[in-house]
Amino acid sequence: MSALTSTLQRLYGFWWIVLPPIVGSAVMAMIIGSIVVAPREIIEGDVQRLLYIHFPSILAAYGAFGVVFLASLVVLWKRDLRWDAVARGAATVGVLFTGLTLATGALWGKPIWGVYWTWDARLTSTLVLFLIYAAYLLARSMADELDEQAARFAAVFAVLGALDIPLVMFSVTWWRTLHPQPIVMRGLERPALPPEMLLVLMIAFLGIGALALWLGILRTEAEWLAKRTATLRAKIDRHEGA
Amino acid sequence: MSDTVGPAMAVVMKDLRLAWRDRAGWASAGAFATIAVLVYSFAFDLATGDIRPLLPGVLWTTFLFAGIFAGGQSFARESEEGTFDALLLSPVSPTMVYLGKAAANIIAMLVIEFLQLGLATILFDTNLVSLELLVIVFLGTVGSVSLTTLLSTMSASMRGRAMLLPVMALPLLVPLLIGAVRATGAALNVEVGAAPWTLLLAVAALWSAALSVLLFPIAVER
Repeated sequence: MSALTSTLQRLYGFWWIVLPPIVGSAVMAMIIGSIVVAPREIIEGDVQRLLYIHFPSILAAYGAFGVVFLASLVVLWKRDLRWDAVARGAATVGVLFTGLTLATGALWGKPIWGVYWTWDARLTSTLVLFLIYAAYLLARSMADELDEQAARFAAVFAVLGALDIPLVMFSVTWWRTLHPQPIVMRGLERPALPPEMLLVLMIAFLGIGALALWLGILRTEAEWLAKRTATLRAKIDRHEGA
Repeated sequence: MSDTVGPAMAVVMKDLRLAWRDRAGWASAGAFATIAVLVYSFAFDLATGDIRPLLPGVLWTTFLFAGIFAGGQSFARESEEGTFDALLLSPVSPTMVYLGKAAANIIAMLVIEFLQLGLATILFDTNLVSLELLVIVFLGTVGSVSLTTLLSTMSASMRGRAMLLPVMALPLLVPLLIGAVRATGAALNVEVGAAPWTLLLAVAALWSAALSVLLFPIAVER
């Protein structure tokens, strides 16, 4: 075993001790911060507080889908089913947080836009993102844990999905757009949020990011354990048959 | 030249011959498309007076669903009979096998679509047989069928593939659907905005055709 692998494994074991308290305290801080500390938005009112979940969730989802893409490339390249477990774990987290983004967006949209849903460019592309990776999870779950061919198919689909995202965004932007313009990431300009709100948002980034990482790791481990159980069961069956 | 294209042509001819001999599969896709156009025409006529602005959406949802339905069937037979494994074992590059299968599916699908254009011309009282529309239909078909051919190969070995294929294919085809519906609307003088929709359709078609050609050998590698 190389030094790098053992370092990574030690670091990974360390995460089990470090991540849960970070996740717990950051998420608590996020909830308290967004309800108590952050000031009430003058025009939108309390419903604006959903932003503290909405925006970090979509970033966490993008991060997770990035991991799905990379892990799927490794599955195709190395044929290592461990990366299939990583891709599935990350896809689950990505779908979860995309769903959370869509749900909080709909709750915000009703009082502000007057409708839960509209076929706006960003809403549409986020929904398509959700559907692509939900289809990925569905396709992967319909085949055997240890089916390497199915893992390859799922990986090819994940690569297709990731490469489809720019095209989806481009096409729906041409189609229509209604979503509020970015207020935090405006390049070199200063963010348009007041400092208290920005602070709470930063805590929310940490909380949601850590939560996504934690859930992703748990899900990946569960997938990997399921694969190992299936391998062992197959071995026992062979042994009994012989 | 004939050495490289020959195998693909052989697959095209094999698939078209099979499609002709066992017409039930493609005939049911055609019947499905016909029924869909009829039901749309009937149901929308009940709901609204002017159904012509809905026509591009009617045509493309029908084409996409019929294409997915037919594409799924064409691979189901291959995997049942084991001919797909035989094709992959033959000393032909998987890319050629893919090109052959995709071309056969595109040709069969185009036949169904042109019949539907004729039917819709009568039902919706709009002239749908123009060069511009034929180009749009061709581009959209190449794009959607090349992708569903790849996906149906992949889902052929999975349980519940009939349901899985549309769930996998349609989200990926959203850009193509937008381009196709809007370009068709523009060709029919429906208000669709000024963007170059046919260009978007062409880019989306090229995207799915190129990626499918590239990814097929990787997907079927054993």
